[in-house]
Order: sequence, then C-alpha cells, then structure tokens
Amino acid sequence: MDNLKEELKNQIIEQLNLEDIKAADIADDALLFNDQGLGLDSIDALELIVLLEKYYGIQVTNPDEGKEAFLSINTMADYIIKRKG
Amino acid sequence: MSFITSYCHLDNESCRVNGQEIASRDSESTENWLRQLYKSQDFVYPKFYKMDSLSQAGFIASELIKRAQPNLVSNYADDKIALLFGNQYSSVDSDIRFKKSYQEQGTPSPALFVYTLPNIVLGEIAILNKWYGENLFVVLPKFTADFFVNYVQIFISQGSDAVLCGWLGISSEQMNVFLFLVEKQGEAGMELTAENLEKIAGF
Repeated sequence: MDNLKEELKNQIIEQLNLEDIKAADIADDALLFNDQGLGLDSIDALELIVLLEKYYGIQVTNPDEGKEAFLSINTMADYIIKRKG
Repeated sequence: MSFITSYCHLDNESCRVNGQEIASRDSESTENWLRQLYKSQDFVYPKFYKMDSLSQAGFIASELIKRAQPNLVSNYADDKIALLFGNQYSSVDSDIRFKKSYQEQGTPSPALFVYTLPNIVLGEIAILNKWYGENLFVVLPKFTADFFVNYVQIFISQGSDAVLCGWLGISSEQMNVFLFLVEKQGEAGMELTAENLEKIAGF
C-alpha cells in the first residue's frame, strides 16, 4: 500500500506538471483539491481520471465515485485497490 | 489620440522592456527559455508551469509591463483595460502536443486540450489581474500595425481607457513576442500611430 501511494504521488507530480513539488511534500491525507492541500483544479481532476486509466486500467464512469476517490492520496489508493480487486 | 506607454519584446535569445535588455537566454541551462525567465525575474505564480508557451510568454511579458507601469492595475477600473492580441500561428504548438497525446501516448490530455485555442492566453491574463474588459485575439498572416491602431481606437471608443496589445509569434522553432500598452491618457508615451508602432515592433 505504501508503494502504491508513493507511486501515485510521483505519477500525479508528473502528469499534472507540479513543478518544485516532491513526493515527500504530499501528505497521504492532504486534501488534493483544497488550497491548503495541493490546490488542484477541475482540469487536474480530468487529468487524474486519465491517470487512473493510463496507469491502472481503471475507468471512472460515476462522477460521485470520482469525487470520493480523489479526496486524497489515501482515498485514491483505497479506490484503486477496491477496483482492481 | 492615445499613447504607447510601455512595451516588451521576447525573442529566442533575449527579453527587452522599453528597448532595454533585461535578460538573455542561458544556452547552458537545461531549462527552456521561458522557464529561465520566470525564475530569473522572480515571478511567483505556480500556475505558470501548467500553461502552454503562448500563455507563459503572455504572462511574462504582461507582468514585465506591469512592473514598468506600476500604477497600471490601480489606475483603471477592472473593466476599463482591454486586451488585443494576435499572431500568425494560432495555437499550433499546443495543437501538435495535444494531437501527440492521443496519437502516440494513447490518451488525450485535458491539460493540453484547454490550450488548443490561442485566446486562452487572454483568459490567463484576465484571471490573474481580475480584468473584465473587452478582449480579442486575431490570427493574421503577419504583424499589422494598422490593424492594432484601428482596433485600439474601436476599444477606446467603446469605453476602454487602456489596451494591452500583443503579438505572440510562437511556433516550435521561433519566438517573436511583442507586447505594448496603450493608454488614453499617457502623454509621456509615444503617440499610437502605425509608423511609431512599426518602429518599436521591429519586425
């Protein structure tokens, strides 16, 4: 699970062009879309959907599901594990 | 009568404000020229890294003009500054990158897609500065001073008091960026005529 979270952080940094941010700067429970967290926006949300499909083969078809999944690194990792079985 | 009160040039090698060079490209650096400028001029705007080259160049040049005219933002109401930009390549750099994202990498990138229209740079500048005035982006075969002179007058006759104008000639190989600020009240500046504009544009 820790490996998955580390991997996710690096993928997010690369996919979203988060310059000057390292994986160690992202807390597992930091709110991704909050200004006090990573401050991501709606385009970043779309990129996260692309990321899940590209790296994990997961299609997010239910918007409500996506909203819950993308709260933090913790929730994203949980979602990936749940979807991949 | 209106006046050109500040201008900024960016090309592949240098950056000049009101004719004076303020930075030149470090050919040894691993970073591209726009990122070098962003860092060397001490800008702090993390969204910069998500922008395409048109928006990055527009951001840098407009911020440098604001530094040359520190009262620009406070002198005018938020709907009195118009934006009038143009180029000959539209958003071709972003168009090609977006096309590659789905042709070669298999998934279309939303972050690239949003920049596949050249006028997005106007949105970036307007959002940053909270300017709600008129704006227009045109694609022309080449920089045309007459067009800018005429359209600035149209904006001013419709109520704008200042117009930030720009030519963003950016393709994958070259950069010829020229931004200039026109103010209705700016007697210290150069009168806006096609002849004066062509002279300082230097194209």
